[in-house]
Amino acid sequence: MGGLLEVEGLTRRFGAVTALDGLSFAVPAGEVVGFLGPNGAGKTTTMRAVFGLAELDGGTVRWNGAPIGARERRRFGYMPEERGLYPGMAVRDHLEYLARLHGASREDAARGTRAWLERLGIAARAEDRVDSLSHGNQQRVQLAAALVHDPDLLVLDEPLAGLDPAGIEAVSAVLLDEARRGRCVLFSSHQLDLVEDLCERVVIIDHGRLVASGRVDDLATAGERRLVVRVEGDRQAAWVRGLPGVTLSEVEAGAARLVLDPAVDSDTVLRAAMAAGRVTEFALERRRLSEVFREALG
Amino acid sequence: MRPAVVVAAAVVVLATARLWRRHRAGSARVRTRRLRSARPSSQTRLVAAREIRERVRARAFHVVTAIVLAAVAAAIVIPALTRGTSRPERVGVVGSLSGAQRRAMTLAASSTGARLELAPEASLEAAVAALRRGRIDLALRGGREVLVDRAPAATDASTPARFVHALAADLGLEEAVAAAHLTPDQAARIAGARPLPIRGLAGAPPPATGSRGPSLVGVVIVFVMLSQYETWTLIGVMEEKSSRVAKVLLATVRPAQLLGGKVLGIGVVALAQASAILAFAFVLAEAVGSDLLRGTAPTMLAAALLWLVVGYAFYCWVYAAAGSLAERQDQIQTLALPLSLPMVFGYVMALTGAASGHASVLLEVLAYLPPTAPFAMPVLVALKAVSWWGFVGAVACSVVATVWVARLAATVYRRAVLRTGRRVRLGEVLGTRRGR
Repeated sequence: MGGLLEVEGLTRRFGAVTALDGLSFAVPAGEVVGFLGPNGAGKTTTMRAVFGLAELDGGTVRWNGAPIGARERRRFGYMPEERGLYPGMAVRDHLEYLARLHGASREDAARGTRAWLERLGIAARAEDRVDSLSHGNQQRVQLAAALVHDPDLLVLDEPLAGLDPAGIEAVSAVLLDEARRGRCVLFSSHQLDLVEDLCERVVIIDHGRLVASGRVDDLATAGERRLVVRVEGDRQAAWVRGLPGVTLSEVEAGAARLVLDPAVDSDTVLRAAMAAGRVTEFALERRRLSEVFREALG
Repeated sequence: MRPAVVVAAAVVVLATARLWRRHRAGSARVRTRRLRSARPSSQTRLVAAREIRERVRARAFHVVTAIVLAAVAAAIVIPALTRGTSRPERVGVVGSLSGAQRRAMTLAASSTGARLELAPEASLEAAVAALRRGRIDLALRGGREVLVDRAPAATDASTPARFVHALAADLGLEEAVAAAHLTPDQAARIAGARPLPIRGLAGAPPPATGSRGPSLVGVVIVFVMLSQYETWTLIGVMEEKSSRVAKVLLATVRPAQLLGGKVLGIGVVALAQASAILAFAFVLAEAVGSDLLRGTAPTMLAAALLWLVVGYAFYCWVYAAAGSLAERQDQIQTLALPLSLPMVFGYVMALTGAASGHASVLLEVLAYLPPTAPFAMPVLVALKAVSWWGFVGAVACSVVATVWVARLAATVYRRAVLRTGRRVRLGEVLGTRRGR
């Protein structure tokens, strides 16, 4: 159960285009890791490299410190960006088939299929052909296909794309549960607010290079400190002027956004605000993940 | 020809076993280096089992099987039913016949299912004239000679041909008996009796002539079934690519396993379907007493079944590789046309040879070329125009070519099946480096 996925120095070129440029990061067990980047950043190529589906010019992918082979891959679950299922196959047959290809016994495959169909709310469609299902339900079948053999590592390329709110909630719950069970979970998404809610850790890449990575909390609070302060009766934040090491970024509806120099103590700012009037808001401002993302990409 | 078929089948089995052992050994080396406890063979089996299950469940499979069975049943039952209403064998008799000779004629007729109608002829010339006009089917000159317009081939299994041969044999025996005395030497003469010579007025047909009906049927069956199975392979690979399920499968199964499982599964369905149809034909023919499967027909159809397998083994790799280059139906049609040309050419030439009853030099050459051998060689077997070693040599050529084609196809498949979004050119994949 669990393990550590390490990507080290991945390089891949397509002619003049560099898809991966010495990319390195790790995905520890028990965490949901968001894999972020603009279109064409190299996310899908990296995920495919984990499964040996992309040829590499350099670098290695390791699982628990060792190169990944067919035996290891049978313990991985993969949901590609372009969904892939046999359209004419019955849902139950399809999932059992995939489970068995991953090495599950006939009984385990049947048991896993039953459990995931129940969990994802599509048990009633078990005997239906895949192509008779709605887009959302096909998405759930695809997720079940990645999970049915109880993998140690889950790699999901845009698993939330095209889902309705109920679907997003269901898939998010599954990812969190799997991480709590000690699995490694790596997933890509462009829905940064969802990623922020779901992930403990993110990896941000651009042009095949790592541009930021770490715990979401650390990234949100890293860099220059920002404060939001509201003083009753001072809608222009005149009290800020003259405070050494404090820059007024903007005033919005009476709330002053301040940027603090590293040497400035926030208590000094609080005292100055209290001296100016009744303080109705005083908070350390967290950067949204979308801001972190934009800053990382420059 | 039967021993040749047995030897050929043994060679194919041995070659397949050898290839399988090499594949297993190769897999074992890879396992040692990269996979350790992975079991590629079980994954190939799973892929093949899914292929078999889905193919057999498909409505198209049931419809095609029913149509072929109905056609085979019609080809066997209708001639058998109409045989009883066929006209009698009209025998012109020159001179008189003894009672023993009349009994011999009746015996020959009953043993071959022919009905007999005797017509006295005033002279040999009158009998020849009647033969040429078609008023009679054969003439008996006393008990000494049987005259026919065209002498039937020894392999001709039709009722008139078998009646002529039986009549000649029985009358020859009768003459020997009449000429014999009760001494040991005379008894030996009886035992060594030979059929009367059969002299054809128009000369003997080419010596290689065999039964045409079964060879035509065999070639048509090989072509129809081979086309069907190879189309399954082509479309099956294309659909796995276009539906992107190949990406999911290849995340855990090696390309060679996925490709091997697919062609193995379709091959098993093909062999089972063809065997069932042949078994059905044999049982039905036996039940209704059909002539269709007499003479060289069983050997020819067994050869056709063997070449169906050999032909499938050769073409399945070609079609699978082509399927991996496409991801839309219109691209499939563009790819299928050039692939089908050698098959159509071999089929047409084989049909022509079977219909003429003569093995041309071109047909003999085509019988040794792997793309056309599945159609040409069964016809040579039916025409008795190939030796057993020639047959085995053709099988060996096809096996060697199949191994080479399979390797090339596996390379093309591995490099093309994950390239999506547009049709992949063959030159692109053959010019790129090796992948997983």
